[in-house]
Amino acid sequence: MKPIIEIKDVSFAYSKQQDVLKNVNLTIQKGEWITILGHNGSGKSTLSKLLIGLLKAKTGTIHVDGIELNEDSVYDIRKKIGIVFQNPDNQFVGVTVRDDIAFGLENLQIPREEMIERIDKFSKKVDMFEYLNKEPQQLSGGQKQRVAIAGILAMKTDVIIFDESTSMLDPKGRKKILEYMKQLNDEGTTIITITHDMKEAVSSDRVVVLKHGEILKVDTSTNILRDKTTLEQSNLELLLPLELLHYMDSNNVDHQSLKDFLWASSLNV
Amino acid sequence: MKNIVIGRYVPGKGFLYDLDPRTKLIALLVLMAATFIIDELIHMAAAILLIGVILVIGRISVKRVYLGLRPLLFLLIFTFAFQILFNTQGDLLFETPLYYSPITLGLVVVIVLIWGFTKRFIKFKLLYFLATVFLSLFVLNTFTEPLVFATGTFSIYEDALEMALFIMLRLIIIVTLSTILTITTKPTDLNLGLESVLKPLKVIRVNTEEIAMIISIALRYIPTLLDEANKIMLAQASRGVDFQEGKLKEKVMQIVSLLVPMFIISFKRSDELANAMEARSFIPGHPRTRLHLLTWKTLDTVVLVVSLTLLISSISIRVFL
Repeated sequence: MKPIIEIKDVSFAYSKQQDVLKNVNLTIQKGEWITILGHNGSGKSTLSKLLIGLLKAKTGTIHVDGIELNEDSVYDIRKKIGIVFQNPDNQFVGVTVRDDIAFGLENLQIPREEMIERIDKFSKKVDMFEYLNKEPQQLSGGQKQRVAIAGILAMKTDVIIFDESTSMLDPKGRKKILEYMKQLNDEGTTIITITHDMKEAVSSDRVVVLKHGEILKVDTSTNILRDKTTLEQSNLELLLPLELLHYMDSNNVDHQSLKDFLWASSLNV
Repeated sequence: MKNIVIGRYVPGKGFLYDLDPRTKLIALLVLMAATFIIDELIHMAAAILLIGVILVIGRISVKRVYLGLRPLLFLLIFTFAFQILFNTQGDLLFETPLYYSPITLGLVVVIVLIWGFTKRFIKFKLLYFLATVFLSLFVLNTFTEPLVFATGTFSIYEDALEMALFIMLRLIIIVTLSTILTITTKPTDLNLGLESVLKPLKVIRVNTEEIAMIISIALRYIPTLLDEANKIMLAQASRGVDFQEGKLKEKVMQIVSLLVPMFIISFKRSDELANAMEARSFIPGHPRTRLHLLTWKTLDTVVLVVSLTLLISSISIRVFL
């Protein structure tokens, strides 16, 4: 496999006192699905903004598809990386769904005929074809997020970053977005999900755990999800079934104590 | 707060809907100019007839136009009254004496007080106000005796009446024309039209594309911001702010308690939106292709020629006759 994103010794600070990111090193392969997991303020969203050049790293270099990210190349790199943000309302630029999907294409100066083709194709892909003439206030949060995805897909980027894209959605909307991620990854798109939700990490190939701007651990999702010490160190919670697994490993479990454990952890949610 | 009806696009069919937004914008400007140039009552009548014809052919409901005019009623009556009272040019048409005595003035005060207390229960406030004014004048005119300490006159001059009528009609025509434009044109089309009508300004380095982008984003976020304002009002109400009543000082505090969070939220929102736009390869000032195209039809040429003819003929009537 070929690396598509190479991050070398990247540090970043909003103010002089404190570094938000400290010497981050990470290589992401083409076609990979990687999850960046971290608590609030761990620097995970900052990392995504660095990748598309919305912020400038203090030190270190970022290469995307072999091109170094700098002031001259930033516009070319944005053609390779798309990003779906957290708040569905604050990334809906167009007056209608059609206009919003077209926005990125207009910026890329795609000819009109091709634009129409792509809008039809990718709105169908996220099941929003019937909504093309609707206005954002007529849509649910999940639908708006799907429009955002279609807008990025239509730009045909190699990498899509989902920056906490599901955190403002209801469980149904979240599930649907996760399905699209899976489907896109199967079709060869490199996917980076940024989240603090364990469930989103499950399907990815690798998980990067961030804590206070430093990479705590990089491993396959199955290994990380089981790794209680790493997760606890970075203020993250194990999924309930896995917590149960740990409990059963470390205790002599009978029927009653199992019930007690489940009862206690259901109250902890 | 959500139903801002005035000047909203109303989906429909008809020749006004088929016209290119550019045509409608230019025709609006041309016809407005024409209404300011004509100065004969008969021509004004012709202009109103023309608008009536447009409304009928375009199948636009008069009620919608009236909704657009309603906010102007106060202005119309104010200018009318101003002209009648203070314009003393031309022939005297009507004159009647007014007698000021403690009795008549007292009665006027009583009438005004009654009006002040009852106006909130009356449905047609403006008519009620006019009735009050006429009743006051009538009282001042009738009770001659006794104790009259001063007399005055109430007089109407020809020019005053004419001016008042012209100002009213011009305002009505302008507002009706703009209402027709906004209810038959989608905001996005209007924006596209505006962008291309303003294009000549590029010569003096006005970036019309950016202006159009700003307008379209503003249009997009009006409902979102209204929603936001509603939420903040509810949140503040739950903390004890009463948005319904209060003295002036309290009213100011209420507005502050709404505006400050609105500002902060809007700035945060615009920051995120700017990020999202940049992430999708938006570069301010760079050329972009367009999804929406405006198509010029024969009908557009016809409408434009007709309105220009009207403008030219009104100018020539004014100059040569």
